[in-house]
Amino acid sequence: MKAAATAAFVVVLASVPLWLDNAYFLHVLIVTGIFIIAAMSLNLLLGYAGQLSLGHVAFFGIGAYASALVSLGFKLTFPFEIEVQAKPVWLAMLMGMLAAGASGWFIGRIAFKVRGAYFVIVSISFVEVVRLVAVNWVELTQGPMALNNIPPLEVWGITFLRKPANYWLVLGVAIASYVLIRRLVCSRAGRAMVALAENEPLATSVGIDVTRYLVLAAVVSATMAGAAGALYAHYVRIVDPDVFLFIYTVTMVIMVITGGKGTLAGPVVGGLIFGLLPEGLRAAAIAPEAQWIVYGLLMVLVVYFLPRGIVPAFTKIRG
Amino acid sequence: MDQLLQHGLNALMLGGTYALLGIGLTLIFGIMKVVNFTHGELYAFGAYMMYALVMLLGVSFFVALPLAIALGVALGALLELVLLRRLRAADIDTTMLVMIGAWIALQNAEQLAWTGVAKSISTPFPAAPLVIGPVSVAWNRVFVLVIALILIFVAYLVINRTKLGRAMRATFQDRDTAALMGVRIGNIHTATFALGSGLAAAAGALLGPVFVAYPSMGDLAAAKAFAVVILGGLGSIPGATLGGFILALVEELGAGYVSSGYRDAMGFLLIIVILLFRPTGLFARKERVG
Amino acid sequence: MNFGWKAIAAAFAASLVAGSVGAQEPIKIGVTQPLTGAFAASGNYVAQGAKIAEEAINKQGGVLGRKIQLVIEDNKSNPTEAVATAEKLISKDKVPVLMGAWSSTLTLAVMPKLMEYQVPMVVETSSSGKITTSGNPYIFRISPTSEMEAKAFVPMVKKFNIKKADFLATNNDFGLGASQEFSKMLKENGVQVGVVETMDPKATDFSAQLAKIKASGGDTLFVTTAVEQATLILRQAKEQQLKARIITTGGSVSPDQLIAQAGAAANGSYHLVFFTPWFPDAVKNPDIAKKFVGEWTARKYEVGGLTEGFRGWDAVHTIVEAIKHAGKAEPKAIQDALWHVKVKGINGDIAFIKQGPAGKESAQNVPSVYVVRIDNGKVVRN
Repeated sequence: MKAAATAAFVVVLASVPLWLDNAYFLHVLIVTGIFIIAAMSLNLLLGYAGQLSLGHVAFFGIGAYASALVSLGFKLTFPFEIEVQAKPVWLAMLMGMLAAGASGWFIGRIAFKVRGAYFVIVSISFVEVVRLVAVNWVELTQGPMALNNIPPLEVWGITFLRKPANYWLVLGVAIASYVLIRRLVCSRAGRAMVALAENEPLATSVGIDVTRYLVLAAVVSATMAGAAGALYAHYVRIVDPDVFLFIYTVTMVIMVITGGKGTLAGPVVGGLIFGLLPEGLRAAAIAPEAQWIVYGLLMVLVVYFLPRGIVPAFTKIRG
Repeated sequence: MDQLLQHGLNALMLGGTYALLGIGLTLIFGIMKVVNFTHGELYAFGAYMMYALVMLLGVSFFVALPLAIALGVALGALLELVLLRRLRAADIDTTMLVMIGAWIALQNAEQLAWTGVAKSISTPFPAAPLVIGPVSVAWNRVFVLVIALILIFVAYLVINRTKLGRAMRATFQDRDTAALMGVRIGNIHTATFALGSGLAAAAGALLGPVFVAYPSMGDLAAAKAFAVVILGGLGSIPGATLGGFILALVEELGAGYVSSGYRDAMGFLLIIVILLFRPTGLFARKERVG
Repeated sequence: MNFGWKAIAAAFAASLVAGSVGAQEPIKIGVTQPLTGAFAASGNYVAQGAKIAEEAINKQGGVLGRKIQLVIEDNKSNPTEAVATAEKLISKDKVPVLMGAWSSTLTLAVMPKLMEYQVPMVVETSSSGKITTSGNPYIFRISPTSEMEAKAFVPMVKKFNIKKADFLATNNDFGLGASQEFSKMLKENGVQVGVVETMDPKATDFSAQLAKIKASGGDTLFVTTAVEQATLILRQAKEQQLKARIITTGGSVSPDQLIAQAGAAANGSYHLVFFTPWFPDAVKNPDIAKKFVGEWTARKYEVGGLTEGFRGWDAVHTIVEAIKHAGKAEPKAIQDALWHVKVKGINGDIAFIKQGPAGKESAQNVPSVYVVRIDNGKVVRN
């Protein structure tokens, strides 16, 4: 029954570009979809493995930059001479995911020496350092002058330039991500992660290798965020250090926590609500500052009344 | 050599305020386990209150300063009572999200109230700098350092020599036992948040006249505060104090001799390096890995 | 036959009403500016200038018998939002022409949308060379590039007798672009370039950078950043007893705000601006400039905002002139018309030349650049 409902939902989502006449709304859905993918990946780390990572946008941005750079081609003279010719976009996207995953592994090994408050701060610091590298390493990243004219994805003769094509691409990746997370969470590795989140000393005493599973979570999570970043780079087609803005991490965190961390549907629900909310507020024709204030207050209210998130509250009502 | 001296002097001035910010945050983070994203906004609030008092209401600078700090304490207490009381049993990330929402609302309220245009606050100090040999420093910065040191000392006294302070330390060490011993945790939380916020507002009230006040000024200040907390170790006032000065020095020297573009990265790099070799920070009293 | 006559009269009356109702539909002009976020102050100034222009034009009957209506969207100083505003303005509000997006990264973010929907945009502030050299024929920029600004400064190099110059620039496209172009220009004119220091756009303390600049010993320091940082730089330079002459570039640094906030530390500094509200006679079209200053102060807007607000006025007037020549409010017609406009703007006369790769050129105006000095708390001609 549940599977049928999910399938119907997916079909409805997939049909949207066929009947939705409003190009602007379709654009909003695409961007929201990209952030939902990133939110789902954050959920793995934050919701299931219980690690409060506020640096997630670093992986998103690294994926975006790596994919953009490989698709445009680049040349470096320092620290070593290297020249990379422009590669097809699908390969660039894979490179983006790889780069993000590698940084996930790297930061995982360092950051998971600490927990709680310390981990939070390390994750924030990591993003800042990466952002400053993006700003200052002008030879590679063009710094604040931005990488623009990024080519769109082109595969089997289809160029993903128009919105419906991009919508289906994002939807496809989102579904794949959802399925992947589901399988991971239900697997042995996933259960180990949850055990860690619930009670680390106990889990360790039972022989679970903490670092190994946390790093695994970090790598999978980072790779998925990198994929979202790559999608972003080839849809918006410009990448600059602003991609590391803290407000994007905040957006992802909001989606996960208001939706319900540690649940599969949480980031999707939270994502749809808080991804579409700013546009709804824009249409409300109140002062721009007031729009932000309402946004912030709504966040607070949702968490106040539904501290576990929207999805758990729903399942509680039903169950 | 002159350049080195000048850098050192500059670092001294900033270090005091970084210490204030760090102490406030380490108390909140340590005792209440709250990732306080409104800390930067209290800093901005302190600066804007100085603006309102000195420039709009014509209050004397030296009277406005303690008033601004008091207002910061009050706002901190208000935030705790309204937002955090109910969430005491909630997860750290839930309260964090509430703090983020409050941060967004506060910063935009500030822009709504004062517009995005930067505001300047006049000081009664002479414009000409104090010249000591080859180096020079502005008088208002000297004032900032002196007041910051006084406030740090006051905070230390409160935590270590008062009954309230003792209750706070007990709550930090072991919340449940402290509750069993009769400590009213709710009041301690309010007091902690108010004290921490007051220190942040103090830093803002002191630095506002040195720089300028604008709505997003709190963001960078909050980032520095987080760095200081790590450096000094969670919950340690001496740690945060020393951490503040060390961060300022590392930033100055890094900007001066390595690369000015990476100045603000120095703090973050330092954090990552420290965490690699000494995860609990330089001075933490409590072992805290895991 | 009576009723036939009445029917015709009724039909005639109805068509008059219908015709005039149709003609009342205003022509929409899309505006995307940072109204919140890091650039909120500047974005709001530009929007204010644009709104003054809107009212002035509508008071004179609008264009093509219709009023104009600005649809202003907040891009939140954030490239993703800039894209969203462009999407909304074009596909939902159906504007035939845009104006924006303030900073270079915001404008660059919007550019693919212009290509997708084939709608022209007038760029009023951005300075990055990339905007007009990326092969986007829908871009019409009235603000100068850093390169143009540097070229306009060449005669001043001799006048100031600059031997060695240092740079202090904010770490974004605006600051870095300017320091690059000015360095190049100076070297071409026989001036030695000392250190090029940078800072984060949010930084408030420049003691380290200034100490280095002082040690470098140049006679001139070029500063490129926003007005808040410029205020602090002037103050801190005085605190550190920096002897070099300070020149700010970019045109967004309001000398009035500097005088108000940096006080005595602002005396002796020079500023490159694109509008001189203190002596409107210095610009090519003084009547227009005076009118604008009058309207601005009548609304009690921040005096310091004039040096940015005028861009909104000039952009809207450029667009309206193009609509007039196009004869209709359609993107393609407006785009073609823009190439041929000659507008008397506040900065000077506005007209477009081609720039960028052949076949896909963008349009660039060659604006006037003015140098002013702050002396004894007042802005004076140099």
